[in-house]
Amino acid sequence: MKGALQSTVLAALALCLGCDVRGVASLPPPQTTSSATTSIPAPASKPAPPAGKPATPAPASSPPAPQEPGPSALPDDDRALVIRDGQESWTSATGAARSGYTIIDLGDDWTPYIFAEHRGSDGQPMPNRYRRVFLGLANDTLDEDGEPLPAGEKNYLELYGIPPSLGVLRARFLEDEKQKCHEGANLAAMEAVETVGYVAPEKVKQEEQRIARLRSDLEGTRKKANARTLAELAAKDPKLEPKVKLVERRAAEKLAMTEVERRLACEGMFKRGVKHSPGIYDDAMRLAVRRFQQKHMIYESNYLRQKTMDALARAPLANDHEALVRVLRERVVAAAGVVEDGSAEGKNGPPTYTGANGRSLPVRNLVEEMKQAAVEQLGLTSPEAALAFFKRHSAADLRHLRAAVRLPALPEYYEPNMDLSIVIDRGEVWYDLPWDSAGVRHAQPRKRYPSFHVYVKYKEQRIPLARWRTTIGGWRAEQASDGYEYFRYKGSDVGPRVIRNVVAGPVWIAPESTPIRTLVKPKTVNGLQQRVVNYDELGPGFLSAYGLIAGYLVVPGKGGKPDWDNGIRAHGSSEYLSMYSAEGYSHGCHRLPNHLAIRLYSFILHHRPTRILGDQPTNIARQFLLDNDVFEIRVPSRGYQYVLEPPLPVDVLEGEIKGTLKKPVLTYVPKPGVRYPGPPPAVPNSAEGRAGGIGPGRSAAGDDEGGTP
Amino acid sequence: MRPRARRSKLRLRAGIALLAILGVGTAVGLGAQDADESPAVAEPSAPKTQDKVNITLQTVPPRKAVVKWGNKTLGVIPVPRPLVVVRPRDSGPLDLVVRAAGFLPVHTRAYTFSDSRVAIKLTPVSEKNTLFGYRAEVLPDAGASPDAGAPPPAPAPAPAPAPTPAIPH
Repeated sequence: MKGALQSTVLAALALCLGCDVRGVASLPPPQTTSSATTSIPAPASKPAPPAGKPATPAPASSPPAPQEPGPSALPDDDRALVIRDGQESWTSATGAARSGYTIIDLGDDWTPYIFAEHRGSDGQPMPNRYRRVFLGLANDTLDEDGEPLPAGEKNYLELYGIPPSLGVLRARFLEDEKQKCHEGANLAAMEAVETVGYVAPEKVKQEEQRIARLRSDLEGTRKKANARTLAELAAKDPKLEPKVKLVERRAAEKLAMTEVERRLACEGMFKRGVKHSPGIYDDAMRLAVRRFQQKHMIYESNYLRQKTMDALARAPLANDHEALVRVLRERVVAAAGVVEDGSAEGKNGPPTYTGANGRSLPVRNLVEEMKQAAVEQLGLTSPEAALAFFKRHSAADLRHLRAAVRLPALPEYYEPNMDLSIVIDRGEVWYDLPWDSAGVRHAQPRKRYPSFHVYVKYKEQRIPLARWRTTIGGWRAEQASDGYEYFRYKGSDVGPRVIRNVVAGPVWIAPESTPIRTLVKPKTVNGLQQRVVNYDELGPGFLSAYGLIAGYLVVPGKGGKPDWDNGIRAHGSSEYLSMYSAEGYSHGCHRLPNHLAIRLYSFILHHRPTRILGDQPTNIARQFLLDNDVFEIRVPSRGYQYVLEPPLPVDVLEGEIKGTLKKPVLTYVPKPGVRYPGPPPAVPNSAEGRAGGIGPGRSAAGDDEGGTP
Repeated sequence: MRPRARRSKLRLRAGIALLAILGVGTAVGLGAQDADESPAVAEPSAPKTQDKVNITLQTVPPRKAVVKWGNKTLGVIPVPRPLVVVRPRDSGPLDLVVRAAGFLPVHTRAYTFSDSRVAIKLTPVSEKNTLFGYRAEVLPDAGASPDAGAPPPAPAPAPAPAPTPAIPH
């Protein structure tokens, strides 16, 4: 679809600019084409590359440079790289798109569609405030506030939905080719363990003594039993097996830990100024592991779990190659406008639908198919090939690089306007208090977690396209009007809803019930460490409570009345553990990892009639007191708004209510052990308050107060 | 809306009205032109260029106040006139601290996406209990809440939806 969009856009561009299409004649028609178009207006055209851009250098080992048309023979904004039979050449992007190729934007100035700058009906640009920051973060030039990143600093934000640019990856490849982090590594030590168990720093000595005693006892027993090894002892006396395994595991973990430390230090993951004590999983180590996970997009808690250990055991260039493939995947998905990623598959394989010819067809994993097609056609199938690619193409080449790729055909249910819908299944729901009056927590296990389903209706069939883990609300701390924190059940309401408004770079306007301690953070401002309002949480930004994009769930107004907003959103989030851990909950919203939320809404915006309202300036300021300082939240914009017309249907299913309480508690609950000045105040009757299930919603029109992240 | 919040809002509106009467547009900013990353402070009537934005800072109620940006003092708001700071367009936000004698310090933020006017509401130290987040002292004999960990009897939800207590500017 996006390919078709780009085809349309580029064709229009060609008409306007009289683009050179000489290269097209040399391109064979693709085996497959995509058929859909879209009704949304085209984004503003990209700026032309800098004048005097050098031609692509072609080292001896690389494919020979194309004969014609050479890069300089094509206008900068109509040039695409194409690789045929291993030979790189340049062609007209317009012509290639017309011939059924999809133009993949590989440039450093790429953003997802949601942050593209559009033009209004009057032809004027509709700037997106967050676009510049997104680009700066992806290119390691700006920090999250949009201020210059200190020299040598890296952002590593792929885990939070901002993949590195190809320019950043190029530098990473070239640097990692030189460094020797993997050479001489004791890989056997790393591979001997799947995970490294966490021992709190203050208990390390005690634990070491316990293991030493245990080993000594076992050795004594081994000698008495005439066993040659502890393993033999365990085989002779199975009761001792757990103890033997524990001793052996701890020994293996110690060796692995040494290797992990070496690797993290070599990759520059330890933060300057934070001291690490070897062998101890201290704060410095935790931060280094988190940084490594961010760099390699590993969704795990900040410990040495399996995926993290696997990545630590791989060669840096292999990890870089995986990063490149992920980056390419997002570019291809954006260009193709697809969402099917295999997540809808069940135990019996992919779901099926009946095609126009009456045959049963599987729902394909288009994300994987298209990514693979692009990787192969661009010749980026191995770390070595990718390194060679980056050596052939200078950093300047990558700034505006586009490639023409033949992608597999889209399924027959793809249309310009698709009959899409969303179902959110709350899974297993607990309303009971998760602790008793003594403050002791009680487990509330769930076997079925909340899930987010995307469907398309085609020939009277509802075809599942994707299914992801999401969140529902639960018990959260909330600030009451008496200035004290209480617990409150922040539920996710149930029933038919719609998403009418989608906001890119959304701002969460923290309601007064937000605990004040979360609204302030330390920051170095112009050389001075001070406390500032925590705009990371408010947005726009990847750490925002609403993530990088949010859809607003409302009950559509009838008879000319405005929509009713219960404060629930379906949005991106950097808090991936709230989605992927057993005890993760939101404040009522349905969260998705930022990169999936970007994919989802880009897909929806491409396949539904959409009106672009653009930046939504506002002038909200709110003050609060912390100690003897006043902090002022100042919000200049609510984000960049798209309106779905008609809105997208959403159905939130009740799920299965577990435990004793069958309805949510609607009042504040005092925190165990906290002294309060009096009885809890009444809960506020705001949209944010009603997310817990109180009463009817409020008008969605003209009210800025945020909902429940 | 709580009575104290309503009082604050009324005071704020009165302050903004006063500023309007005083004619902020004629104000002259103070401070020297700064080099490099430091914001330039200029007269509000200075001609604007496409790559610069003017940030106009004023206090409500109008009081002379020092504006700091980290270690750097940007200038003094010379009531009744505002302080105007010139910054490169889209160069990132400024986290500012505004201090006026007899008032609580205010931490605020100014943006560089476009020209903007920032009215900073000042609260006298003696009125800090009017601010959201103020916590009354717990009496020594109050003890831990006896029903901690259990929901209290359900009070009726608060009546009519309160307007967003945002400060209009």
